[in-house]
Amino acid sequence: MQAIYTLKQARFILQTLLCLLLLSCSPQEKQKEQQLVLHDDLGRELKLPKRPERVFALASSMTEMLFAVLDTSSIVARTPNCDYPAAVLQKPEVNNYPVDYEQVLALKPDLIFTVEGITPLEVAERLQELGVPVYYQKYETVESIFAGLEDIGRIMGREQQAKQLTDSLRQEVAQLKKRHQQSKNQQQVLAITWVDPIYVYGQNTILTDKLRILGAENAVKELFEQPYPALTREYILKLNPDVLLGGTKEELEEKFFNQYPELRKIKAYQNNQLYKPTDDLMSRPSPRVVASLWELEEFLYK
Amino acid sequence: MRQSSYIILALLLILVVLMLGLQVGSFKTNFATIADTFLNYNPNNTTQYAILHLRLPRLLLALVVGASLAFCGYLMQAMVNNGLADPYLLGTASGASLGAVIVFFGFVPISVAGIYLPPVFALAGAFLVTLVVVVLGYRKRQIIPSQLLLAGIALSSLVTAVVGLLTFLSDSEGKLKSVIFWSMGSFERASWSLVPYPSMALLLALLFFVFYQKELNILLLGEERAQAMGIRVARTRWVILATISVVTGFAVATSGPIGFVGLIVPHVTRGLLGITGRTNLLFCAFIGGLFMLLCDLISRIIYPPAGLPIGIITSFFGVPFFVYLLFKKNYNFRG
Repeated sequence: MQAIYTLKQARFILQTLLCLLLLSCSPQEKQKEQQLVLHDDLGRELKLPKRPERVFALASSMTEMLFAVLDTSSIVARTPNCDYPAAVLQKPEVNNYPVDYEQVLALKPDLIFTVEGITPLEVAERLQELGVPVYYQKYETVESIFAGLEDIGRIMGREQQAKQLTDSLRQEVAQLKKRHQQSKNQQQVLAITWVDPIYVYGQNTILTDKLRILGAENAVKELFEQPYPALTREYILKLNPDVLLGGTKEELEEKFFNQYPELRKIKAYQNNQLYKPTDDLMSRPSPRVVASLWELEEFLYK
Repeated sequence: MRQSSYIILALLLILVVLMLGLQVGSFKTNFATIADTFLNYNPNNTTQYAILHLRLPRLLLALVVGASLAFCGYLMQAMVNNGLADPYLLGTASGASLGAVIVFFGFVPISVAGIYLPPVFALAGAFLVTLVVVVLGYRKRQIIPSQLLLAGIALSSLVTAVVGLLTFLSDSEGKLKSVIFWSMGSFERASWSLVPYPSMALLLALLFFVFYQKELNILLLGEERAQAMGIRVARTRWVILATISVVTGFAVATSGPIGFVGLIVPHVTRGLLGITGRTNLLFCAFIGGLFMLLCDLISRIIYPPAGLPIGIITSFFGVPFFVYLLFKKNYNFRG
């Protein structure tokens, strides 16, 4: 009995080895024909055996980018945070924090898209080792989001769709620029992301570019290492912003000014210029950046 | 140098660092601006407002918290007769962290009727955990120091695990930032409404123990000899315990758990003034305050504007000094 079992086991192992050998041989042959070499925004080189057909994103903003350019059927998963567009909710969920590697492998993606700062590089390396290349994009301006959309179009063979989309988005931005470029007194805007400690949108975030398009300015002029630096009350008193973004009047009163009564001295509080932008529009660099611009325009010029 | 000279020197240094500290911030200021703030205060001048309402309370809080931790460290080391004890041995720090985390993670609102809740919950957490530790360290109507230490360590680990679990399950990066920021200590939240509480607790305790110093020193001789010399050891321990929990509780609740001050400053004190100096407690509190003021100043100068978390600075400067004490031959660590 014992001997038969061992024989079975040996056969199984042999079969598996043979399969593995075959698997490891075949892509190499294909590679020669249509290998795709990509360079992502971090300068990483990715070699793909063929044009990717099954993809998904590890960041909710990137999922929005993919849905805007790709055929929905080529997007094979979403992260637990992905909620836009509504169609995304029908996709299987993949845990991105921490990344569920087994689930990723089970979905057999050809390529994963993500955004700098969202997915740690070591996670990307690990995925690469498992045979799933990870493509990073990074955005510093509104224009770079559009360039990112075109980039996705190129990689996935959807240049036409991407071009159509970015043309219309660029047109909207141009109109907004035209409306506000002549704005004389540039409003100084401070946007907080967290109240304790006080974290804000720094100079090197897309918000700075959005405000520039709208003829306003990010009140934080100093360039900090982190995109979202922690500030002191004194620093904010000195900035003395005209507009404060971060919550409704009631919310800011309760959570912010109650805790930091000294900040009631700033112009934004004195003139009641306190607004609550939609979280996802502020934090996700996606095609909805134009909707974000419209929202900000409403706060600044209504 | 005589003991009183040390005290005067410490006070002078505190004044110097306070003056320097008042100049560091986002608004550019000099001695003239500061003098002007105190002599002709104009509430509409934002620079003066920042000096009086942001910088001064921050410095005072750092002074008081540093003094409180050093003072409680001294008491704790005397009570358990062990040079490795610090004021957090009763679980105060982990209890306070749990209290603060409960608020940060939204189990209770962040403020009620205009009262900012994290310090309130931190204080409650500190007291609650301390109470449990004391109950565990209590047997036959007496506090057993060794049992108290073990109970403190065990319960701290348990509470820290709960805090860790809550942190792991956190659903937002912002909440994590709050918790991390809190757990490394900061004086950024200082305001005139916050400073009086830890100050009053420390002041009362200091006054009381200046007169109680003799009992404390006799306690260092060991339980039996202290008893033989007419000290009511059990009662003395209760008094020390109550003082440590209240003073440390207020310090931690207002500024987060800041390490090493309560451990090293008592050693510095004994190294300079001897083991049973009459003014040891007072001096220890002053040096603790001075050390914390310096650390806060350094943290704000090297990483403006927000400053590095203060706990990082205190450990950075505290640990090398501790190692130096370890290797210094004529210093007796036991106490």
